Amino acid sequence: MDGLLFLIPALPFLAFVLIVLFTNQDQKVSAGLTIGATAVSWLLGWYFAFRAFFDPHGVAEEPIRLSIPWFPGGYSIFYTGFQVDVLTAVMLFMVPFLCFLIFVYSVGYMEGDPRFSRFFAYLALFATGMLGFILADNLLLAFIFWELMGVCSYLLIGFWSFRKPGETHIDHAQVKRARAASIKAFITTRVGDTIMLAGMVLLYAMTGSLRWSEILAPETLEKLADKIVSMPVFGVAPWATVLAILIFWGAIGKSAQFPLHVWLPDAMEGPTPVSALIHAATMVSAGVYLIIRTFPLFHVVAEGSNSAMWFVAFIGTFTALFAATIGIAQFDIKRVLAYSTISQLGYMFAALGIGAYIAAAFHLLMHAFFKALLFLGSGSVIHAMHHGHHVSHEHGHGHEELPIEFNPNDMRLMGGLLNKMPRTAWTFIAGGLSLSGFPLITAGFWSKDEILADAWHGGHMIVFWTLAIAAFVTAFYTGRQIFMVFFGQPRSEAAKHAHESPNSMTVPLVILAVFAIAAGWVGIPETFPGLGAVVRGWFQSLMGAQLEALHLEHETLPFNAAPLLISMTMAVGGLFVAWLIYGRKPLGYEDPLARPLGGLWQAWHNKYWVDELYQATVVAFAKWLAHFLYNFDDRWVIDPIVDGVGRYGRRFAGAVRRFIDEQIIDRIVNGTAWVSNVLGEFLRQIQTGQAQNYLLAILITVTVLIVLGIGVG
Amino acid sequence: MIPLSWFLAVSAILFVIGFFGVLSRRNAIAILMGIELMLNAVNINVLAFWRYTQPENPAGLVWAIIVITVAAAEAAVGLALFIALYRLRTTVNIDEVDLLKG
Amino acid sequence: MALFDQWVLTIILFWPLLAAIIVLFIPQDQEDRIRRFSIWMSMVPLILSTLVFVDYGVRFLQGTGGLQYELQVAWIPQLGASYHVGADGLSVPLIFLTALLTTLSLYYSARTIHHRVKEFFFLFLLLETGMFGVFMALDLVLFYVFWEVGLVPMFFLIGIWGHENREYAAIKFFLYTLVGSVAMLLAFLALYFVTGTFDIVKLTEIKPLAGNLWLASLVFFGIFLGLAIKVPSWPFHTWLPDAHTEAPTAGSVILAGILLKLGAYGFLRLLLGILPHAFAYWGWVIVGLGVISIVYGAFVCMAQTNLKRLIAYSSVSHMGYVLLGLGAAGVALSGTVSFFDKNSAALAIDGALLQMFNHGIITGALFFLVGILYERAHTFDLTRFGGLSGKTPYYYGIFMVAGFASLGLPGLAGFWAEFFVFRGAFDIVRIWAAIGVIGVVVTAAYILWRIVQSVFLGEFNTEWEGKLWDMTGFEKVTLWPLVILMFAIGLYPAPLVNFFNRAAVELLTQAGFMF
Repeated sequence: MDGLLFLIPALPFLAFVLIVLFTNQDQKVSAGLTIGATAVSWLLGWYFAFRAFFDPHGVAEEPIRLSIPWFPGGYSIFYTGFQVDVLTAVMLFMVPFLCFLIFVYSVGYMEGDPRFSRFFAYLALFATGMLGFILADNLLLAFIFWELMGVCSYLLIGFWSFRKPGETHIDHAQVKRARAASIKAFITTRVGDTIMLAGMVLLYAMTGSLRWSEILAPETLEKLADKIVSMPVFGVAPWATVLAILIFWGAIGKSAQFPLHVWLPDAMEGPTPVSALIHAATMVSAGVYLIIRTFPLFHVVAEGSNSAMWFVAFIGTFTALFAATIGIAQFDIKRVLAYSTISQLGYMFAALGIGAYIAAAFHLLMHAFFKALLFLGSGSVIHAMHHGHHVSHEHGHGHEELPIEFNPNDMRLMGGLLNKMPRTAWTFIAGGLSLSGFPLITAGFWSKDEILADAWHGGHMIVFWTLAIAAFVTAFYTGRQIFMVFFGQPRSEAAKHAHESPNSMTVPLVILAVFAIAAGWVGIPETFPGLGAVVRGWFQSLMGAQLEALHLEHETLPFNAAPLLISMTMAVGGLFVAWLIYGRKPLGYEDPLARPLGGLWQAWHNKYWVDELYQATVVAFAKWLAHFLYNFDDRWVIDPIVDGVGRYGRRFAGAVRRFIDEQIIDRIVNGTAWVSNVLGEFLRQIQTGQAQNYLLAILITVTVLIVLGIGVG
Repeated sequence: MIPLSWFLAVSAILFVIGFFGVLSRRNAIAILMGIELMLNAVNINVLAFWRYTQPENPAGLVWAIIVITVAAAEAAVGLALFIALYRLRTTVNIDEVDLLKG
Repeated sequence: MALFDQWVLTIILFWPLLAAIIVLFIPQDQEDRIRRFSIWMSMVPLILSTLVFVDYGVRFLQGTGGLQYELQVAWIPQLGASYHVGADGLSVPLIFLTALLTTLSLYYSARTIHHRVKEFFFLFLLLETGMFGVFMALDLVLFYVFWEVGLVPMFFLIGIWGHENREYAAIKFFLYTLVGSVAMLLAFLALYFVTGTFDIVKLTEIKPLAGNLWLASLVFFGIFLGLAIKVPSWPFHTWLPDAHTEAPTAGSVILAGILLKLGAYGFLRLLLGILPHAFAYWGWVIVGLGVISIVYGAFVCMAQTNLKRLIAYSSVSHMGYVLLGLGAAGVALSGTVSFFDKNSAALAIDGALLQMFNHGIITGALFFLVGILYERAHTFDLTRFGGLSGKTPYYYGIFMVAGFASLGLPGLAGFWAEFFVFRGAFDIVRIWAAIGVIGVVVTAAYILWRIVQSVFLGEFNTEWEGKLWDMTGFEKVTLWPLVILMFAIGLYPAPLVNFFNRAAVELLTQAGFMF
């Protein structure tokens, strides 16, 4: 059975190959292949996951593994393979399951798209990437799948970046935006990946291996922590810190943390299931998974001088608040969620930065469920708006006069959808409450509270208060979104004519809603009054097994009411303030906060102008440098030198020709010819061409010779 | 017995007559006849020397036969050439055949 | 088997020459016969070199590595020059690559060259012999002869079948390379005067001039100049964009796929093999030039509007990785830096070798693809295209695979080279490697921004309505072998790495790199 491990990523890959090569003309078979393969992977994945859940200590100590030799490197051989330990099992519980649900949802969402089969092929490839990534037993294999996900992300963001003849429902602006977004996503994450590659090869050089079990072994880590490197600019640091930070950059890119966060909001140009699966639930959290996986490397340097942990905490905390504030001032329903994703991923990094390993993993898992739910819900809303728009046109409701251009994603044009599409609305609200951390019942509350409690307990007050404010902001923009979309009066014809989406879309929503609420209960801390006794911190003890296997200490936090109350206040307060501003009275097309907040609102609305800043600095500089170097090459220096050498070579040769060749050598040669010519002119007189003349000459000559011979003799 | 010198004298006279013909005639056929005369003169010379100096050695006879053979071949080739020449130029006057003139 | 051992390389080497001579006797107007004949004849070296590849693999598994298939026959005994050929893990894959790319190029050219067909095929087959010769020669005179044999046909291929500015490009190519060759010849003579032999195997054992750094450096830089121009390394690279842009498609493929590798191969066989001390001493120079080539080439690509020129500059950048890997090994040999892992030097060379092989496949494929577009549109101007992904999905798909392989996407061939090079270089020359890494990002940027965005995405230019059709049968046949290789090496690089790694370890041991 352990040998079947490779099937988990291989089956979706097989589906991808089959679709690309054979079934790309048949939409039903293509979708069936992808979903079927994912379903089998899901079952297999859960088999291994539950094996780990039932025997966490055994699996954590001795992971289920499959390994083959890959290639020789110098004097040693590199092995590769798959493994399942507790951390993998937790991911394996979530990833294939979510993939399956979202693929089913896609069948309804993508219906009628001319490139339906191709979409499912890409999805299958993505599932391969994500599953392979979490199963890989070494960093190199993980990196390969990591990049595979990057490509799928690129392909799927740009899915609507070109048109086939006869296609109608995509506009030119969309094509252009999708094109730019896909390339931006790939290149931005590539920046992080390349830095991570540097970290990876250095790690390989120093430890001679990239397998998790070997690089994270305590003795290896201690060696890395003891070795000191001195770098220009950055100064002196232990190697472990340097490597950790280099690898963390990969996570910054993939998980869209500041300063490489710019690609994720633009990535929302992709189809919504993609946003849900890749840009919320799975791929973007791969960065968090990677840091959880390599956590011992970050943790090994003694606290106090550990700048790697500090760096992770700083980036995470800063991003959590930074992205949350931007989320307040967005109108695109998916962009709000995108910034919320960035912010929530920041939470997870902040948690890792303060050493809250279990809390980060817990939040990663919970976030995947509720954020997938929210995205799918928003997809359902967009779908409905789209159809509403069409219906209103077809039924001749005249040309609607809107103060803003119609866009199915624009929340200003929604409103009152609660009655039109109740299933979507209620599931979305469930997800929203979970995201804002509504006390006690939602999954998001338990996971976020865990992080805040850890921060409080560890004495990381700056982190704690920043995250608490971010929690307030999160609750606020979530409330704003819910009130703008589902409550009040419809603010456009499209919203008036919206209706509920098909079952293939709503059933996954309902299933996810259950998880978005209930999944968090597995992580209720043991010390929590009342409830704790029921669950006994099941998730904490599960991950605790993993920590023990890594030889890291883990303690059960004592119950503390202060962070709990603060967290509750923030969540409920945020929702309440949102209701005050957006829910109490009917909304217009202008945001009620835009005028009172003025410049601050502008900063949020324009995402602090980070895109513009990059455009003006990094991109402009790269373009300038490219042209400068090209001119240096072709016009100014190198080629002119080469051409100059050629030209002067020719001139020199010309001079040689004129002065030496023509004056001396040619004269000698010509003189020889002239002499021959004169001689020839003379001799041709004798050549009569008549044999008799020649004979006469012979006779005379012979006679003369004989006479002379006699005379001499 | 006729002394050797008489034969040599006849041979020399024949050779000179032939050579004169070759040099002075303009008709190619006549030139060819001159050459034949010269060859016969040589034959007489060869045979005379053979008979008077080494009659036991057949080399002289053999030489004479070779010369006769060569003469026959030469006459055949020469005549063929002149026929070809005549066909081409309707003349056998060798003054007019001077394409090799430099 | 003994017969096979001795003669297989010689047959591979001279078969194309024989075919070329026979082509001369086929009447000029029987163009189809010339085409068919040449293609079939070029299959023989391909099959034999595949056999050699497999056979060498079997020997590898049995544990016999090193030089195989050796044959030595006296040639010019007065000079001590002999006909000495042989192959090891270094050259076997490259011989295979040469045979493969030549056959594919001939096959592609059979459908696209309609002008002076006989001369084209004659020259191409002659070129193949030249390239084989360099990879097989174990004698400096032989090496030099074949080095020059490869030069002349390429000159004519560019000059006769090239594009608008072909004559300038051909002459530039010829003169540049000739300058390098002359320097190299002088260095060879110097080696001869010191040791009295031209035999590379003997020279490798003798390691001449070890004690005389000044003279060794002189010889080193003589050979270096010849090789660096061929590679080409910054700042000797400016012949390349012109030659590539003007050459016919098949010419560009061979130029990028094989001819550039001759230079890189020489670095290992001649410089590291014969002059390890000088190589170690001047490793820094190679690293520096390599890193400059990587970054510089990549940035210059971003400024291009001519598709073929862009890919030509990308070759400068990609060959920079080869130099970085080789130079890093040299620095490791010098023992002047401290590094962590004894494997690093071997891994850096592995990376350089992998890059040579993979760049041959990937850039070969890219040049074919560009040629295919040119056959239809008759322009390389990037700005005039757009939206091709919808019109020509097959072409788009293949181009994406080659493009992603070129930018080093894991799972495709190009990644391994980058990984190994940086794995070695980061341990040995950290700062330089860190600068070189910038090239990786910029590569992604120019492939996606410059090529994919301007050619495939966006609005379709109506100028081409109905003129750009998708790939046809023979174009697919040309590209599929290369695409399959990209995937195969990307997923399981062991067969290649096995050969390269063995060769690298042997070279390093030979050079005195002991642990």
